[in-house]
Amino acid sequence: MDEKMKQALIDIVGEANVTDELIDLVSYSYDSSEISHRPDCAVWAETTAQVADIMKLANKMKIPVVPRGAGTGLSAMAVPVKGGIVLDLCRMNRIIKVSIEDRMAVVQPGVVYADLEKALAKDGFFFPPDPGSGKSATLGGNVATNAGGIKGAKYGTTRDYVLGLEVVLPDGRIMRTGSNCMKSVSGYDLTRLIVGSEGTLGIVTEIIFKINPKPTKTATAMATFDSLEDAGRAVTAIMYSGIIPSVLEILGRECLQAINQNTDLNLPEVDAMLLAETDGYTQAEADFQIEKIIAVFKNNTPREVKQAQSAAEAVDLWKARKSAYAVLARIKSHFMLEDVTVPMGRIADLLKGVAAISEKHAIQIATFGHAGDGNLHPQILYDGYDPDQVGRMEAATADLFQLAIDLEGTLTGEHGIGLAKAPFMHLEHDEVAMDIMRRTKQMFDPNNILNPGKMALEV
Amino acid sequence: MEAKYDFTRKFREQILQCSRCGFCQAHCPVFGSTLRPSYNARGKMLLLKEVMDGKLELNDELTETLFQCTTCASCFENCPSGVNVPQIIKQVRKDMVQVGSCHPAFVGMNDVLSRHTNIYMENEPEDFDRERNQKAEYVYFMGCVGQYRQDEATEAALDLLDRLDVDFTLIDEVCCSGVLEDVGFEINPGLADKNVELILATGCTTVITGCPYCFRTFNGKDQYVKLREAGIKIVHMSQFLKDFDLPVKTDQKVTYHDSCDLGRHCGIYSEPRATIRKIAPNFVEMPHHHANSLCCGAGGGVRGAYAKNSIAMARKRLDEVEEIEADVILTDCNSCVHNLGNAKLRKQKFKIHTVTEYVNMLMEDAE
Repeated sequence: MDEKMKQALIDIVGEANVTDELIDLVSYSYDSSEISHRPDCAVWAETTAQVADIMKLANKMKIPVVPRGAGTGLSAMAVPVKGGIVLDLCRMNRIIKVSIEDRMAVVQPGVVYADLEKALAKDGFFFPPDPGSGKSATLGGNVATNAGGIKGAKYGTTRDYVLGLEVVLPDGRIMRTGSNCMKSVSGYDLTRLIVGSEGTLGIVTEIIFKINPKPTKTATAMATFDSLEDAGRAVTAIMYSGIIPSVLEILGRECLQAINQNTDLNLPEVDAMLLAETDGYTQAEADFQIEKIIAVFKNNTPREVKQAQSAAEAVDLWKARKSAYAVLARIKSHFMLEDVTVPMGRIADLLKGVAAISEKHAIQIATFGHAGDGNLHPQILYDGYDPDQVGRMEAATADLFQLAIDLEGTLTGEHGIGLAKAPFMHLEHDEVAMDIMRRTKQMFDPNNILNPGKMALEV
Repeated sequence: MEAKYDFTRKFREQILQCSRCGFCQAHCPVFGSTLRPSYNARGKMLLLKEVMDGKLELNDELTETLFQCTTCASCFENCPSGVNVPQIIKQVRKDMVQVGSCHPAFVGMNDVLSRHTNIYMENEPEDFDRERNQKAEYVYFMGCVGQYRQDEATEAALDLLDRLDVDFTLIDEVCCSGVLEDVGFEINPGLADKNVELILATGCTTVITGCPYCFRTFNGKDQYVKLREAGIKIVHMSQFLKDFDLPVKTDQKVTYHDSCDLGRHCGIYSEPRATIRKIAPNFVEMPHHHANSLCCGAGGGVRGAYAKNSIAMARKRLDEVEEIEADVILTDCNSCVHNLGNAKLRKQKFKIHTVTEYVNMLMEDAE
């Protein structure tokens, strides 16, 4: 990298916190997606003032800056596709304040989800949107992607818990959004604009989260269905039942088969398995809800229905779902894990459509996901060193996105657009919406230096 | 095309299996104490993938991360894709040595063991006031750390064996040299043969090792196959101790640190706990235990080559002792005791011992 630039960065964060060593450039080229590109250097920032100074410098020199947390994202949003500086925020990892009386926690962006969870657990509280990568992922990254999790149906996503932010803008100015209050309708909702903006508008340096008391009791049930239609009808009937399960997961036939081929769980190879968990503050409360859900399962021609009678039995029922990711990750050398989302009433249609796409392109697609909020994870398995398979995977992905849109769904429920889904933005967003998004980007970042190339924001 | 490096031939499929999910960041002790992703298991696998793709060569630029792995296997334990990183790293280090890129500390270690009998270049072994190379049912094998750095713990282990009326002998042991396999080299056959010869000459039925790594080496490596062929059992002290009635008790709050070598690498979790529960009813686990135990930071040559980060890892372990307010942390690995001891802060009042040493102390006090 340019020596003058390097020296200027060293002047801001110190010599030990700037690197252009090969090992770092390689590791900062990747996230969890299939896309990679090397940055020119990486910087570890520890204060908001340092982040602001870095942005002022980069803005003046017109050098790209890509903010990064744990790099667990699946859409290449942290991949420095235009080179420049990777700004690693993992060392801004202080939990600044937990205020139970105000039901909020103030954290720096590098705090790992699991560390906040541990800190809140002492008081019986939790931060509900728990991404699958929560042991590694940082909260700054969760805000940038508006991460979801397994409890989305009942508890929503990260967006629903962000009360306010401190944000460093591309020109280095520091902006405060939102408030410490549960309610605020004061001015434009800049907080919501930043949440999910994938580091394209500003760098989040402090987050005020709303927190919840954690229900202490749960109940778990499972049902299998020979036909997808019956499973779909069961999901719809749960919506009518008045119960909001804390977790409602689905595993498709391909997924169950893959688990059977690679474990000794010996699952029934049916069209779909549904797993439900309800929660509450007394066992009676959780049981009341699960009984309603079991009644729904039984009314929709299940092959089998089981209720966990103990914590150990609940663990057994969850084994299939919990093993899905690891099993699917081992089948082929590469996979594409999508997160298309449809209205809950269309889940059976989505699963049927996925099966058709799999057959059309002769490529294995196994699906599991969050039936309770319509967010499914079709996982396309392929060999990345075989150009033919790569081509079929890409064609299947394009069809999958079109399918989601045709079903009145969305390209992404929780992973974000990044680079991987940028070519498909036009399927979901009309010209007017794209124009407003691009103008918003230009207003915040006229020199296009902050995480450039993402979200189809460049014309 | 013929693969350029052995690691590619042996582990290509596994390295490709890494899906870059980054879940290992939650477990890798080197990442945990540095927050530098290139040091994490994923960072290492990414480099190796680029080497396999022909984008990089193995060279000195990669030394800092490829030789900075404690081989603790906590990444492997938690990897959704099942990538056995320690195994891969050990092979890569051998390839690195072949191309002349190796951390100088390990070149030095290999050199030392080609000229000396132990990793510390000590020429006068402590004799612990005991005859060596006697005929006996058991051989107690101390290990380099036990003999030259944690000699009080070793003295206590020998006293305890006496107290328990065990018919044992020491031998003029030399380094098992298993550690060389971890840092890019091969077991030194001369050293291995010497140990084998001395052990066989005692007529023993069983070798008790004080060191989990010697235990792994004797049980797993070809150079020690003659011991196994002669029907000699190799047990670690923790396994040996569990069957004894120990007529002592303490009301101290005691916790146990699973060493990576005994725990994740050998699956020995219950035996030491069985012993401890007999003597310390007030036993508590730290937040991370059994297969999730935190690494003390010493393994894989990291203590010798990257002392600062090694100590930082040990501090994280000791933070957990403070968190549960234990009076004593026990472990069954002299190397862990050594590193944890070096990392302990003055304000931390708890004690660090091997299980053996602690049992012996209690028995001594009771007499």
